Amino acid sequence: MKALVVERNLPRFAAARVASLLGSGRGAGVGPLRLVDAGPPDLPGGDWHHLRPLLSGICGSDLATLDGRTSRYFEDLVSFPFVPGHEVVGVLEDGGVDHAGVPLAPGTRAVIEPVLGCAPRGLVPVCTHCGTGHTGLCGNVAFGALGPGLQTGYCADTGGGWSTAGLCAHASQLHAVPDALADEDAVMVEPTACAVHAALSAGVRPGDLVAVVGAGTLGLTTVAALSHLVRPAVPCTVAVGAKHPRQRSLAAELGADEVVPPEQLARAVRRRSGSLVVSGRLTEGADVVVDCVGTAASLADSLAMVRPRGRVVLVGMPGRVAVDLAPLWHRELTLVGAYAYGLETVPPGDGTGGAGAARSFELALDLVGRAGLGRLVSATYPLERYEEALAHAGAAGRRGAVKVAFDLRNPKGHAR
Amino acid sequence: MSEPSDTSRRLRPSRAVRSDAALGRPAGGRRARGARGPSAWAARAGRARFPLGAPTWPGGVPRPTPEPELGVHYDTAWSRRYPVRLARAVVLDNVTRPLARLVAAPELRGGEHLRDLDGPVIFAANHASHVDTPLLLACLPLPFRHRIVVAAAADYFFDRRWKADTFTFLLGAIPMERAKVNRRSAELAADLLDDGWNLMIFPEGGRSPDGWAQAFRGGAAYLAARTDRPVVPVHLDGTRHILPKGRSTVRRSRTTVTFGTPLRPGPDEDARRFGVRIESAVAALAHEAATDWWTARRLAAAGSTPALRGPEASAWRRAWALPEASRRDADQHATAAGGPPGPEWPPRRRA
Amino acid sequence: MSPRPGFVLDVDSSTPPTLFWRGERLSLERLPEGSRVVYPPEPLDPLEDPSSAIRHALLHPVGDREPLPALLSAGMRLTIAFDDISLPLPPMERPDVRQLVIEQVLDLAASAGVDDVELVCALALHRRMTEAELRHALGDRIYDAFAPNGLLTQHDAEDPSNLVHLGLTDRGEDVELNRRAAESDLLVYVNINLVAMDGGHKSVATGLASYRSLRHHHNPVTMRHSRSFMDQDRSELHSANWRMGRLIADAGVRVFQIETTLNTDTFPGAFHFLQKREWEWKAKDRLAYAAASAALDRTPARVARRIFHSVRAPHRMTSVQAGEVEAVHALTTEHVWRQQGVAVEGQTDILTMGLPYISPYNVNSVLNPILVACLGLGYFFNLYRGKPLVREGGVLIMTHPTPWEFHPVHHPSYIDFFEQVLSETTDPVEVADRFEEDFATDPWYIHLYRTGHAYHGVHPFYMWYWCAHALEHLGAVILVGGDTKAVHRLGFRAASTLTDALEMATDVVGPSPTLTHLHAPPLLLADVT
Repeated sequence: MKALVVERNLPRFAAARVASLLGSGRGAGVGPLRLVDAGPPDLPGGDWHHLRPLLSGICGSDLATLDGRTSRYFEDLVSFPFVPGHEVVGVLEDGGVDHAGVPLAPGTRAVIEPVLGCAPRGLVPVCTHCGTGHTGLCGNVAFGALGPGLQTGYCADTGGGWSTAGLCAHASQLHAVPDALADEDAVMVEPTACAVHAALSAGVRPGDLVAVVGAGTLGLTTVAALSHLVRPAVPCTVAVGAKHPRQRSLAAELGADEVVPPEQLARAVRRRSGSLVVSGRLTEGADVVVDCVGTAASLADSLAMVRPRGRVVLVGMPGRVAVDLAPLWHRELTLVGAYAYGLETVPPGDGTGGAGAARSFELALDLVGRAGLGRLVSATYPLERYEEALAHAGAAGRRGAVKVAFDLRNPKGHAR
Repeated sequence: MSEPSDTSRRLRPSRAVRSDAALGRPAGGRRARGARGPSAWAARAGRARFPLGAPTWPGGVPRPTPEPELGVHYDTAWSRRYPVRLARAVVLDNVTRPLARLVAAPELRGGEHLRDLDGPVIFAANHASHVDTPLLLACLPLPFRHRIVVAAAADYFFDRRWKADTFTFLLGAIPMERAKVNRRSAELAADLLDDGWNLMIFPEGGRSPDGWAQAFRGGAAYLAARTDRPVVPVHLDGTRHILPKGRSTVRRSRTTVTFGTPLRPGPDEDARRFGVRIESAVAALAHEAATDWWTARRLAAAGSTPALRGPEASAWRRAWALPEASRRDADQHATAAGGPPGPEWPPRRRA
Repeated sequence: MSPRPGFVLDVDSSTPPTLFWRGERLSLERLPEGSRVVYPPEPLDPLEDPSSAIRHALLHPVGDREPLPALLSAGMRLTIAFDDISLPLPPMERPDVRQLVIEQVLDLAASAGVDDVELVCALALHRRMTEAELRHALGDRIYDAFAPNGLLTQHDAEDPSNLVHLGLTDRGEDVELNRRAAESDLLVYVNINLVAMDGGHKSVATGLASYRSLRHHHNPVTMRHSRSFMDQDRSELHSANWRMGRLIADAGVRVFQIETTLNTDTFPGAFHFLQKREWEWKAKDRLAYAAASAALDRTPARVARRIFHSVRAPHRMTSVQAGEVEAVHALTTEHVWRQQGVAVEGQTDILTMGLPYISPYNVNSVLNPILVACLGLGYFFNLYRGKPLVREGGVLIMTHPTPWEFHPVHHPSYIDFFEQVLSETTDPVEVADRFEEDFATDPWYIHLYRTGHAYHGVHPFYMWYWCAHALEHLGAVILVGGDTKAVHRLGFRAASTLTDALEMATDVVGPSPTLTHLHAPPLLLADVT
């Protein structure tokens, strides 16, 4: 049994940083990632279950880690050596118990909610955030019974999805996958949950113009969440700036009202909002801008196209960026982050059965099926071809792909 | 009295230290990093404290009112000391004159009127451009050229120290109040005339806004009467095309400089009537420049010289009636071809 | 030798290849035997003494008008309106006709002692002219006398305080006009009548009107019922303007119309071969063509554009008439037809045309894809009287590089129209219903139109409506040598060579089709029977 392991090796991180200048994901060969023979990790405690991954996605944050360009903010929130992979659908070969305490039969497929909050760490009593269901906000991710690690896939003790050996999942992390969902749909649940969280925390009000910057996995799932979860309850217009033709057609399929190349997004927003322009900035603009890229340029663009007192939701993971915050001050903007998932307040009439509180993951499990998000999985690779897989993921948009995943079901794998 | 500000200044660094400590960083760390590069040095030098920096004035001690030293109060005596005069003469002969010839290509007329003049005189000219002063200086013959002061608007040329210094040095400018009669400037000019200095003055008191002359004011006539010196009427033609009021770029153009017969106030002529005589003399010269001497003389004798100030009519008709010569040649101008949009429309008005 | 009339050439095996314009490039194409080429008449001899002709026209007006000096008196309010940068094409060598005419009008006004005179550029919803362009059109003397005093203005169709609503026509059309022009004692309009569409009541009723007024005749329905808009008697566009013009006259606005016509002497010196017939090209012309086309093929588009837009046409005046609008315009139209008319017998299956670098809306600017469509389907297609040159369901083949390129200052709303409207629909009626209002009232476009040098937000719609008649009439439109993406966005088909295009056309019109080539510019008007 094999697993891909990231070790703390500064020269290799440095080499990856250099190699990634050629393109994201190109540093896999020289970087800190190694394919090793490994058995399943030991269960850290009683409420833990073994999960054998079937499909495991490659996330943008994984690429950033392997390229050595993650913010140093996360330095102390990981423990080495770890097996990456937090977008996992797997099978519980010995059965288990899900987050709500429902027993799961052996052979049940499940997805994991990877945040390692108070519950998996055995901390009693749990912190206020975990107590109210907002596990993503838990501050104890470096403490407790486990090594530091903000999520499964960054923690030495739990294992991760990029492994045929399996990983350890705490009962609180497990969500059973309905039989009707394909593995491809299920592996999209974790990123979709992020998008659901972002879309529901965007504070969209009736009649709002929502601009989504970027149409990678996060951008497209955000579009899906906005058009399937938010718009039915809160009528709004969704405009997307998507760089690549495949992204544009997917964004339109997923329900965006207007899909344009990124350089035209500000113009589209300007026209829809009837705004004037002063030195490249709109005087009015979109009510909500969801930045699914997270670079200095995308953030600057977002700040330039949001209306005064509007909201910029940062979904893409930023690092150290230099951005002029004068518009934030002058136009009284709200700049909010949207990380991970937790407990959502659902607007009424979204098609899932009325208003109320629901876990992002449950909403995402429903949404992937309804919106058919499995189509975003563009290519799968076996673990052995991880260099190719990471290079593909790093150039996903350009190569007409969205999500690239490791296929751990079949030792040979295949690329679509 | 200065207690509060002092206290706060003393408190500021210590507060910074405290907040640094709260974040668990060494207190000096951030400042050490910030203090790199030339800007940091400049900032540090600017913040330098007494005695390295300049002292601040104690709040309890009243500040004396500063002596006015600009406008009509600007003292130009330094510019008439010998070394400065020499330097000005060198610049005038080697820079200003060649430049004036290059840009304005002046044609001189009536220079013979200056030949027999003895002693200081007042040159009174029409005024259409900033080019007028250097051009007229360049055209004056020698005894006058190096011993002349120019009456310049106190509010325009003497409103900043550097302007006052520059124009005083280059042109021998003296401040002249143009909005109202000012004893100080009138006396200075009169004293200088008595001292043997020639005076150049533009009785319109400012450049022409539309190409027609403005009414002549009484300063030149008053000074002539007071010092009993002759007034030489001068007409400058064409300088408006080089640099009119409101434009900032210089274009080359031909000019004509016409000197007239020196005028002296009659025994029972008051300054006002003499001023009118100066204006009509300049108008006759203008007519002479546009036609010929004989035509101009005849019309002047008949008292029907065209008015220097143009017709009393609406702005467009005044512009339409400007002499044919002042119409710019059509194909002088490049037209916009494929380039970026042309200059601002409508043209910005300048003071 | 007096100028020869236009004619229709039948292509045979000894016919040399035909000149095709391709924007800023040129090519020679061999047309199939049996094709026809419509050649324009040669430039007419100009008036020998334009100044005295103008003077004569001002003193001997036609129709129910007194001579101009009798209409001028001290204390009156006089407004002189003139055509904007869209005329003539290309811009003419100095002195421009407008300068010659207005100088004489002003001389009369000055001697009558008229103090209150203003000049208004009648640009409707076009872009404002730059200072250099105004100086070119009016001359420095006029510019310097009026502009610094704020007496030379450009019509602002978005300034409510500067507009006055004169009433409704019997069809309920709003007539809203420039206030200064409407409230003057006399409005002198100085026009250049380059094509038969210009002039007449359209000068004032369109040039000095607002969107509120223009929308009544600048719409797909009117344009589909203007067959063609070069033929006033069969043009709904003109009927609407005439209704408005009569209402303006009834409202007490006294218009003294001065119309001028130019000959088609379009290209100067080295470019003269462009208006000669290919078989008459002398060695000098052939050399000029070879050098020009080879050089232009190697020149970056931007530089080639600069070169062409600096061309000043040696147009000369062929007539000038003044007086009452309709009487004047009847004479003017005769002169235009005398210069441009060509009799053509029967329609054709395929019409080909080479599109030049310039249209009325891109002087000193970029011929963007929408303007390419408008130049071909709006202007050239409509250069007919009687029937269109191409039969219903026929194919139009145009040659132009059609780059996906826009002048950001002049055509801001065009960019959004192309990217956001045409990507959804190309049907003029749907375009009008769904998007026109938004664009026409967009505050940003209004701001740019009023303060910059931008066409009004609604202008690209008008360009598209201009094509409406052709779009309805034609079976297919093929653009040769164009940027494929841009051509597809316009809803046309792209071909790389003329041969390919002819091949594609047979899909629509069947095998062995008839073909006619419109050999313009210089401009011509086909009288199709």
